[in-house]
Amino acid sequence: MNREDLIQKWLDYNLNPQELEAFKQLEDYDELITLDTHLKGFKADTVPTDHALKEVWDSINSTHKKTNKLLPILSKIAAVLVICFGIYFYTTTLDTTANTLVSQQKTIVLPDASEVKLNAMSTITFNESDWNNNRSLYLQGEAYFKVAKGQKFDVETELGTVTVLGTQFNVKQRLDYFEVTCYEGKVSVETNIKQNTLLAGDTFLIIDGKYIATEKENLSSPSWLNHNSTFKSIPYKEVIAEFERQYNVSVEFNNLDDSQNFTGSFTHNDIEIALKSITLPLQLKYSKTDNIIKLKRE
Amino acid sequence: MSKPLKENICEERLFSSIFRKYSKDLHDFLYYKFGSKLNPQDKMQEAFVKLWENCAKVPEDKAKSFLFTTANNLMLNEFAHQKVVLRHQKTKPKHSTNINPEFLLQEKEYKAKLENAIAKLTEAQRVAFLMNRVEGKRFKEIAALLDISTKAVEKRIYGALKKLREDIDEL
Repeated sequence: MNREDLIQKWLDYNLNPQELEAFKQLEDYDELITLDTHLKGFKADTVPTDHALKEVWDSINSTHKKTNKLLPILSKIAAVLVICFGIYFYTTTLDTTANTLVSQQKTIVLPDASEVKLNAMSTITFNESDWNNNRSLYLQGEAYFKVAKGQKFDVETELGTVTVLGTQFNVKQRLDYFEVTCYEGKVSVETNIKQNTLLAGDTFLIIDGKYIATEKENLSSPSWLNHNSTFKSIPYKEVIAEFERQYNVSVEFNNLDDSQNFTGSFTHNDIEIALKSITLPLQLKYSKTDNIIKLKRE
Repeated sequence: MSKPLKENICEERLFSSIFRKYSKDLHDFLYYKFGSKLNPQDKMQEAFVKLWENCAKVPEDKAKSFLFTTANNLMLNEFAHQKVVLRHQKTKPKHSTNINPEFLLQEKEYKAKLENAIAKLTEAQRVAFLMNRVEGKRFKEIAALLDISTKAVEKRIYGALKKLREDIDEL
């Protein structure tokens, strides 16, 4: 048996008595034994097994109280439900908005079958989900209402509030201009300046903060529903503003008195005829380039 | 026809017996591989906690591999490949009471050389060699723990011995 094999066997604690004797005869026996004795000094710390095991159990029990695999799944489901409910709640309580652009009309049916016809450049905002408890909407612009019978119905505008029970009426709220016309039933109007109850045919008109008395209205519905705008002693600048809204043009008039009153009407269907309708009575001339119309005195 | 193991490690009694069987070897393995700086006992215990968490997925015969791999990875996460220095225990040898100062000095020098030489071994050599020499494990026991062949263990240990002796002689 050669030296290397002996050392290998010694390393593997596998020497039989004869081999051990042979190993002891090796010239480097002493050196190996010295090395071996010293190596024992590198012994790893002894781990107190039972104590260490107890620590492991403690750590398992404290961090994983009966590791419940259901809990993370449940929390995920709960999170999804919360998000769904949140979205549902958010969307149902959100206000509904309907609006029209220049030269556009639109009919909106409210949840209780009341009808709203929006004239050009107008917006209404209302809460659909809460409609049956609270019939109230916010209006910017002009609209005609056919209100279904029921509880009180409020139309709020910047310049005043119109309250009715069930009727047909028109509300027009433009810059410094507030007009309510009642076509059927009874309408109550409340503004900072004046409070009034209108019967069928009555009109409530405030221009530039002043209440203006008007004649009885004979029509059964506002003329704009038939694509006509009708004015009775209305300042000319409001007529022009309405014209701009219906035809998507801009009207320039220099050195003209825009506060004089105008009585008449113009159609929404033909710009040439409409222009004549609003210029001839005041003896004005017009010139038209693209979307700009210039008015001049004759 | 191998009968599938009905017993599950999730059972406390079996888990404890696995702990008793492997905790010391696992600790020693970590100690000889990474030194004492990174707290081998903590990592050993952490590996067992991880084994418990995964007890449903790990069959009993894979538990040992799982523990060694997990503990090794836990160590590597912290281990910045610094040099491993194993300290020679400061305990005095029994026969040192009536020894002259010259011998003590030689002894001290020898220990320093040994520490140095051990630090120079490769990780694999050091682990196998010290498990063999210090813990008194036979080749095939080490082979089973490390999941390598007995021949490979033999090679590592013999190689380590050779390298150690060369280094010590040189210095």
